This record gives sequence, C-alpha cells and structure tokens, in this order.
Amino acid sequence: MKRLVSGNEGIFRGAIRAGATYFAGYPISPTSEILQQAALHSEEYPNFQFLQAEDEIAAAIATISASLAGAKAFTATSGPGFSLMQETIGWGHVVEAPCVFVNSMRVGPSTGMPTQPAQGDLLQIKAGSAGDYYPIAFYPSSVEECFRLTITAFNAAEESLSPVILLADAFLSHLYELVELESIEVKVVPRIKEPLGKGQRLFTGTAHDKMGNVRTNDPKIYQDWLWELKARHQRVAEAYPLFQYLPCRGSDVLLIAFGITSRIILSLKERFSIFRPIRIFPVLEKELKEVSQRYRHMMVVEGSDGQYAGWAEWATGRKAIRVPCLGGGFKLQWIERQIEERLKEERT
Amino acid sequence: MIDRSYKELLKMRRYPHTWCPGCGIGAVLKNVAMVLKEFGWSYQNTVAASGIGCSGRMSGYMNLDAVHTPHGRALTSAETIKAVRPELNVIVLSGDGDLASIGGNHLLHTARRNPVITVFCNDNEIYGLTGGQAGPTTPKGTKTLTSLRGEIYSPLRLGRILTTQAPYFYARTTVYHLNHFKHCIREALLWKGFSFVDIVSDCIELNGRRLGFRTAYQMFKWFDERFHIIEGERDHLREDELGIAKAEAEALPKPVEEKEVKPEVKKEDLKPYTSEELQRFDGNEGRPIYFAYKGTIYDISTSPLFQGEKRMRCHIGGRDLTQDLEIAPHGEDLIFKFPVVGRLV
Repeated sequence: MKRLVSGNEGIFRGAIRAGATYFAGYPISPTSEILQQAALHSEEYPNFQFLQAEDEIAAAIATISASLAGAKAFTATSGPGFSLMQETIGWGHVVEAPCVFVNSMRVGPSTGMPTQPAQGDLLQIKAGSAGDYYPIAFYPSSVEECFRLTITAFNAAEESLSPVILLADAFLSHLYELVELESIEVKVVPRIKEPLGKGQRLFTGTAHDKMGNVRTNDPKIYQDWLWELKARHQRVAEAYPLFQYLPCRGSDVLLIAFGITSRIILSLKERFSIFRPIRIFPVLEKELKEVSQRYRHMMVVEGSDGQYAGWAEWATGRKAIRVPCLGGGFKLQWIERQIEERLKEERT
Repeated sequence: MIDRSYKELLKMRRYPHTWCPGCGIGAVLKNVAMVLKEFGWSYQNTVAASGIGCSGRMSGYMNLDAVHTPHGRALTSAETIKAVRPELNVIVLSGDGDLASIGGNHLLHTARRNPVITVFCNDNEIYGLTGGQAGPTTPKGTKTLTSLRGEIYSPLRLGRILTTQAPYFYARTTVYHLNHFKHCIREALLWKGFSFVDIVSDCIELNGRRLGFRTAYQMFKWFDERFHIIEGERDHLREDELGIAKAEAEALPKPVEEKEVKPEVKKEDLKPYTSEELQRFDGNEGRPIYFAYKGTIYDISTSPLFQGEKRMRCHIGGRDLTQDLEIAPHGEDLIFKFPVVGRLV
C-alpha cells in the first residue's frame, strides 16, 4: 500500500532493509527524524541498538566500532556534525569498517542556515579528513531513491570495506512522497568481514602492514596499502556507475544537476538536456566526458559555489558554466533566468 | 617456579616494545595480562581498546582483537563494542591525556551511561609520546615543556569527577604497590558496570628527569611517600590515598501519591436548605457562593474561577446546577472537590 513517506524515513527504512542493526547519532536539523526513528525502532526490535551520543564525534566512533564488532551500522548528520565526524571517517577507511554516513546538507559554513537546503559539503566529503582516501558517495533525488540508494550505500560499504557517504539535502530530508517501500525488491550484500572477538588482530589508525603490526617508517608498506585501497574503491565504484541522462533534441546545452536541484530543473527538460550524476564520488569521469562532448555548453546548477563544477571541469577538460543556488534559494524562475543570462554572456 | 603463562596474552613476537626503559607502562601491561590469565580471559572472549599516546600502544601488544582508536575515543568505542556484543569482555588501556583531556567529554558520558567495561588509565601526569608537555593531571607547579615556570592550573581530579553520581567504581593505585594494583584490577574486572582504575605511573625519561629524579626507582619511592594504602570500602578517596571507592546505584525514590480522604458525612446530617434559602448565597454583599448539585449543596467561594466574579460563564451562584453539567467541559470530579455545606430540600 502506498503511503506518505519523508526522505528521512526513506533513508531509515532503506537502512533497516539493508540489515542495519546499529544507529548512533546526535540531534541536528534536518536529520533528527532519523535519530527519532531509530529510538522508536529500538523499542520494537530489541536486536536493533541505538545510541544518542554526547556529540557527533562519539556518534561516528560508535558507528565504526559497531561495524568492527559485527553490526551493520549507520549514522546521520548534517554539515556541522559531519565536520566533527571527519577524523573518524579517516579512521574508518584505515581500519576497513563498512558502514554508512548520511549527510543531509544545509547552508554552511558553520551553523549557517539550519533549515535551508544546500549542496555545499561535496569537497568536505571528498577531502575532509587528513591524508589520501577515496570515499564513495551517492546522492538520491526522490524518496524512493533515498530508500534504494541507502541499500546501495550499505552494499558498496560491505564491498569496499569502508564508510560510504549517502548525501541528501534539507529539502529532500523533509520531502514527503507517496511510495510503497515494502514491495521494492533489492539486493543486499551480507557482512563478510570477521567481527571482533575471535582473533588477535589490531585495528589501528596508524600505518600498518597486512598483519596489523604498526609500521610507521616504511614508505613501501604505506604505498602498497594505499594503492590497494584506491584500487578496491575504484573497483567497487565502477560497479555502481549510477546517473540519469535526459537528452533533448536540438539542445546544445547540457545541464548538470543532482539531488533536489535536478528535481527543480526537471521541468526544463523540453529545452535543455539534463545529466544527473547519482554517484557523486568517485566522479563519473568517463560518463561525463562522453555525454558532455555532444554539447556546446556544459552548465552545472548546484547549491554551492561551483564545488561540483570544478570536478566536472577536471573530468571533461572543458569549461563548466556555473549557476550557483546559494543560501537556500532554489527557485525555478530564478534558475531559468540565470541560465539564459549566462548563456547570453557565453554566446556573445 | 615463576608462572609465566600470562605471556600468552602478550604479543611477544612484537617485542622489544617501543617504551623507554623504566617506564611504568610495562608494569601496567604485565599485571593486567596476569589478572586476565588468572580469570581465564583470552582472545576468545576479550577485546581491548585504546587511544593515542604511549599508553595507547598497550592494546597493540595484547594478544587480543584490539581497537586502536583516534585520540581520545577509546571509551566510546569500547562502550559500543560491549553494546553490540554483550558476550565479550571489553577493557580499555589508555593514558590520562587521552582519557581525561581530549576524551574528557566521552569520559563523563560513558561513565554516566555505565556500560560494563573496565578502564585502565596509565596516569603518568605528562604527555610522554610527544616529548613531555603538561597534561590534564600534571600537578600545579610542575615544570614541563609547555609550563616553563611551573604548571599554573590545578590538575583535573579524576577521583572526584568519577565519584559524583552512583553507581561508580574508582580505584587509585600505583605501579609501585604491585599487590594493591593487582587487587584493584581484580575488583575492577568483577564490577558489573563502568569501572575505572587510575594507575599512578612514572615517566622517567620525559618527566621524571626534569623533576630531578635520576632513576625510575627514585620515582617509585616518591610514590611511596606521596600515597598510602587505605583498607576497606570507601565512598571517596582523598588525593593521597590508594584504594577503591565504589557505590551501587541508589534505588530511585518512587513518587508518592497522596490521596485526601474526606470523612463520609451522611446526607441526613447535613443542614437542610430550601431553594429560596439557597438563592441568597449568590456572593453578593460578602455572602458566600453556594450551589446545588444532585441534592447536595457545595461552597464554591474558594474557587479561583468564581473569585470576585459572582458567576462563572453560565453558572450562577445560588442555583441548582445539576442540569448545567451536561454542557460543562468538565465532569463531576470537579464538583466533588468543593466543600459540602448542606442539602437541598
């Protein structure tokens, strides 16, 4: 039966379907509902554990530790909380803990505009923690996709043995749509990694060799480890080349948008071609290159000052015209006018 | 013959270890391993967690599945592992800087949530791994690399912080008083809740020498002078005492519901009023306000709703209000609260 479900609930239901048995979080707009859902769910199902931590640092540590202990774990936060979690995300990549971090973006930096949507955490996701790591991130644009991609995120986490980021925005989190989640068929990857408590392994954030021995002065061991990590993430990401491409006959402009922005500009599909990357990181390099070369102009409409546009330029080697929707100002008419003005500038 | 079977719990293949000669961590590691062996805890049922620092390296030398967390986060990690896998024994091996400074918030909140984990805090009063900077437990006046004229702040008193709210288990011991140390480890591991063993330890190379000690043994003798062991159970420890302070959870006081018992008065004994007499009590000229309900007359003068008003919406004093209840937003209970003064005849 179809019923009204919010983006936050879609994410939570997706996690439960993927087999999640642990949630840790700290209240923050706009993902507090996920924390509340977890509290409610743990009342009904005693094998579902839930922790309202003292801060996002503890919530992130609890998520990774629960994963090491054998549970499929996830946490949900927004930009400011995600900043606090960065330290732990780096640790999660080193100790190879599969889990999911949900980041529903709001206007930043700092506290910013807590109830307004934005898409400004992309660079934070890519490189918020110290050193080199290769995070995988997905970004849905509807409630049903929130459900599906949460499961995809859990699967990618199990395969890549690392924290996977599920992006959303304040708009999507509180978007209610009529969906029937129960009948959706999904593939769930089970846990393969051996949980804590039976071996003599060391899960350390310090550089280490394959035996888990700390090795902090050997560049060779570090390089081998990093290339292996990169290759594994690349391999897993390639199994999920998720995007949506809506070509429009006669258009020489390609609009690139994702998340809620792609929903808003969908009504322009009769005039412009639209490309919606669903896998945000690693960037869809091959797909972007292939699609964009059919068009004279490539425009990126996004809720930040060109965070994805920079990546699109890097991937395609050509100029991306930027249409930033800042401070929660996602208005179709405004976006349409901006697109026309930028095109006029470009064509003269 | 000396029993060396505790070495099963140590990763001897990784020796020699990274710690300086004379460091107290060796004693901590050995004694914890000895008691774990005594209890029959092994890699089959035990997990160790630690943070960053010299002391944070301890878990890596234990022959257990060990989690080496980012700086300060060992407690949250241990708590979560225990929550997800209650059948495992979880111990935390870490230092004072890690647990009390960068992990101070987690210390407060994990202690509050009271998971069944045991924390061994190698309290050497200094940041050793980074070269000897002042830590949260560095005594006032101590000269370190970052307190050149002597530490100006008072140290954090873990014993006081952790014993503010029952249940708690806080033990203070030193690496010199070995029998007492082992006794504390045993008691802590048996405690069903959050237990914290504060082990006063020495850092001879990066703290002791600056203080004027020439050998680790001189520091141990200093511990012997500074502290004395106390016997028996205690609620709190003074700063110069070694011992165990513990308290069970207090039973929550149950809220007492007080019911007012009104003496039953027979209706026949009440003073009879006719409806004409009742009408006089309408609140005018200082007279009280009465009304009748199902043959009984109540005094409503004390009601805040009638104060100075003489009437409350459609209710008029001095009348029989039995019919009014049907349209009133309240039930009979409200009426029975008022004092009974007579009966309607």
